[in-house]
Amino acid sequence: MIGYILRRLLLAIPTLFGICVIVFLLLHLAPGSPTAGGPDTLRRSSGRAAEEMRRLYALDRPLPEQFARWIGRVVRLDLGESFVDHRPVSRRIREALPHTLVLNGFALLLAFGLAVPLGVLAGGKPEGVFDRLSGTALFALYSLPTFWAALLLQTLFSVKLRWLPLYGVSADAPGAGLDAVVDRLAHLALPVTCLTYGTLAFVARLVRSGVAEARASDYVLAARARGASRVQALWRHALRNALLPLITLFGLLLPALLSGSVIVERIFAWPGLGRLYFDSILARDYPVIMGLSLVAAVAMLAATLVADIALAAADPRVRDGAVG
Amino acid sequence: MKRAVAAGALALLSLSIGCGGRQESGAAPAPRPTRTPRVKPVLGFLDESREGPAVDGGTLRRRLDGEPTTLNAVLQSSAPEAQVLQYVQRNLFDFDARLNLVASLAEGCEVSPDGLAYTVTLRPNAVWEDGRPVLARDAVFTIQKIVDPKIPSNVFKPLFDDFASVEEVDARRFRVHFRKAYAFRMMAFVFPLLPEHRFAGKNFLKAPDNRAPLSDGPYRVVAWKGQESVELERNPLAWGDRGHFDRIIFRILPDNTTAYRLLTGGDLEVDQLDPGLTRRAAADPEFGSCCRLVEFYNLDYNYIALNNRSPLFADARVRRAVTMLLDRASIVRNLYRGAARIVSGPWAPDSPAYDPSVAPLPFDPAKAVRLFEEAGWRDTNGNGIRDRDGREFEFDLLVSAGSETGRQIDEMLSAELARVGVTARVRAVEWAAFIEKVDGGQFEAASLAWSAVDPNPDPYPYWHSSQCPPNGINDGCYASPEADRLMEEARREMDPGKRTVLLHRLHRIFRDDAPAVFVVNAAQRYGFQRRVRGLVTSPLGFFGIWPGPLGWWQAPAGGTGSP
Repeated sequence: MIGYILRRLLLAIPTLFGICVIVFLLLHLAPGSPTAGGPDTLRRSSGRAAEEMRRLYALDRPLPEQFARWIGRVVRLDLGESFVDHRPVSRRIREALPHTLVLNGFALLLAFGLAVPLGVLAGGKPEGVFDRLSGTALFALYSLPTFWAALLLQTLFSVKLRWLPLYGVSADAPGAGLDAVVDRLAHLALPVTCLTYGTLAFVARLVRSGVAEARASDYVLAARARGASRVQALWRHALRNALLPLITLFGLLLPALLSGSVIVERIFAWPGLGRLYFDSILARDYPVIMGLSLVAAVAMLAATLVADIALAAADPRVRDGAVG
Repeated sequence: MKRAVAAGALALLSLSIGCGGRQESGAAPAPRPTRTPRVKPVLGFLDESREGPAVDGGTLRRRLDGEPTTLNAVLQSSAPEAQVLQYVQRNLFDFDARLNLVASLAEGCEVSPDGLAYTVTLRPNAVWEDGRPVLARDAVFTIQKIVDPKIPSNVFKPLFDDFASVEEVDARRFRVHFRKAYAFRMMAFVFPLLPEHRFAGKNFLKAPDNRAPLSDGPYRVVAWKGQESVELERNPLAWGDRGHFDRIIFRILPDNTTAYRLLTGGDLEVDQLDPGLTRRAAADPEFGSCCRLVEFYNLDYNYIALNNRSPLFADARVRRAVTMLLDRASIVRNLYRGAARIVSGPWAPDSPAYDPSVAPLPFDPAKAVRLFEEAGWRDTNGNGIRDRDGREFEFDLLVSAGSETGRQIDEMLSAELARVGVTARVRAVEWAAFIEKVDGGQFEAASLAWSAVDPNPDPYPYWHSSQCPPNGINDGCYASPEADRLMEEARREMDPGKRTVLLHRLHRIFRDDAPAVFVVNAAQRYGFQRRVRGLVTSPLGFFGIWPGPLGWWQAPAGGTGSP
């Protein structure tokens, strides 16, 4: 097992390097330049001033040299400085990261927490009333565009009913202790809902098909024959096997914890990584884009690794090399 | 399609007044007062500075559509920084609502007879938030930073193009030398100062003051929560105009609809409205009960740049024909619902450079066809598209993605062009890519908007033949010896009256040469809580002027009466 993990870790290094090269090339080959500034710019620099800026940010150097400088800093765990506000990239990421982690963490937990029971109930009796109803409802949810749902939720819960705050992470004066916790949760409710329902629909249907398939298999029949009740057979035997693909899926969804959601973060004015990424791309803030891409790549590789290890732990066939 | 560059109005009256060193008035500059709108918004100049008495206190909650990149005045580059810094840092000189230059942090200014040296005297009572006086060495330090090639001071650098040197005369006076005399030079002195003592021995780009600036204005920064808000409170050591609110909170809200809902919900005092939200506000009873719509014209206008270097648009007859195919009256009626004015040259109608007697070219497709034919563009191969020397008349008409109005204008032009055998493909391009193409001169036609940062009407940087890409931002590379000569003359002419004559002659040439398709000057729209009073609009908007938003106050809850 340890050998397996080490092998995977070593393999991750060239993969990461490859990702960095590709992102770097895409960035620099794409049209646009950091010297022009965004659409909000008061005065665009041109001619001599633009030339001075290119020199300041070493953009006048050959691409391989720029890349070598960047990689040289990264191995010393330095992501460089933003072109936009000249602060360390790591600092900007650190400021936005907790907000995105909290938002997406809640969304992911909620999605899986609801999807599993829904899926098992639906899969326990395929083509039954609950299966059909939940199938239709989940399909409708899955196809609901986030920006539309977000505006609708805001209208209902914030404008009409005034139950939940319209935007932001916390109130101006959130209070202390329990009040502060309640305030944070209230602010989380709408954006988390927006981020949850799509994943929920998707995962629930996956669980449902896994359970439906397992339910018809011989080992569930055998369990029933040994006297296990229908519920026991479903939850203890069918679900366990249906969970295996979920582990892989969870691994794939985990990096989304970091990637943030541009649309939801903009609508709810959530100060997370999605907004930082989006703004940086618009401003062609190369160091920040590279830093965020690197973090996302590391998260992706780490999550895949964790998922594979979990899968190996859960499925002896993977561990012993019989499958995959 | 927003294009951000310095644009133009006055400056003509301003030299004399600016350098005269007018005293700080305390109250707003109060030109022609108009009545507060009651039901319908008033389109035009609004001045409530004489209403009152103004009440002190309360919190003003405003919106920023993006995070400020810095609060270092020299490094500021976009609108959010400028909106916050206006409360925190005083400019040497400011524009008032009538675009006159008024002394602000400076007490006055003397110009040498050759027009090369400017000696500015600072106000004796001006102090920083830490109690130290604002000194000439702060000004020398600030100017040295602006012109430093290693400092990206994009907003102020162009003002110091002909800069030679700066020196401290005494504790309160400094002198700036320029290599050339320039008629609009005073515009260069509308900038704030930085306290030298806070930056000593620190990396200028990363100094802690860039996040927490030392105020010399009416308010100081209390808190800046990344991507959330910036909070200001009164500066206890403020001198001069003080402002009426006790606190100012800027909420950082990227989404227009969310901001609108905060406004109607009573959580913002003011927000700018886009065309969609303006229509919504007009029919929204919630908006009607809490808020009022304020509409006015500023110096911005939009236009379609044509690449004069391209064989398609090198001939002025062709460019005139394209202008005559854009039905601008219909754009005003249908796209802007009447709240826009057709422009016939590169200024908005409120700019003194704009000659109202220069009528715009009419919408005249028949005449346009004749002009195309005269220029040699005929359909010789019978494919329905005009051609000349084997080249078909077809081109990409670029627009910045997300500019809804720009795209609609382009579609209208494209449809008219198609009727006379010219193919214009409307292409939406992401902003950074768009502006790189445009500033590089790598385009045939592109939809742009001009945002005025100051009222400088000098057309030289944008239309003089020496400023074609890559040297400058005469993006379409318009080149006319006669216009060049007049632009050079206007820059040298120190007499405001004579300068206006020159600019008016230029205006006529711009109309007839049609270096670009000048479209309209559209109204700006803001929603305000009804309780907020003391509004003064100007051709630079609410915020580019002094005292601008400092004159606003909030009527106490309850007895608000009208409006």
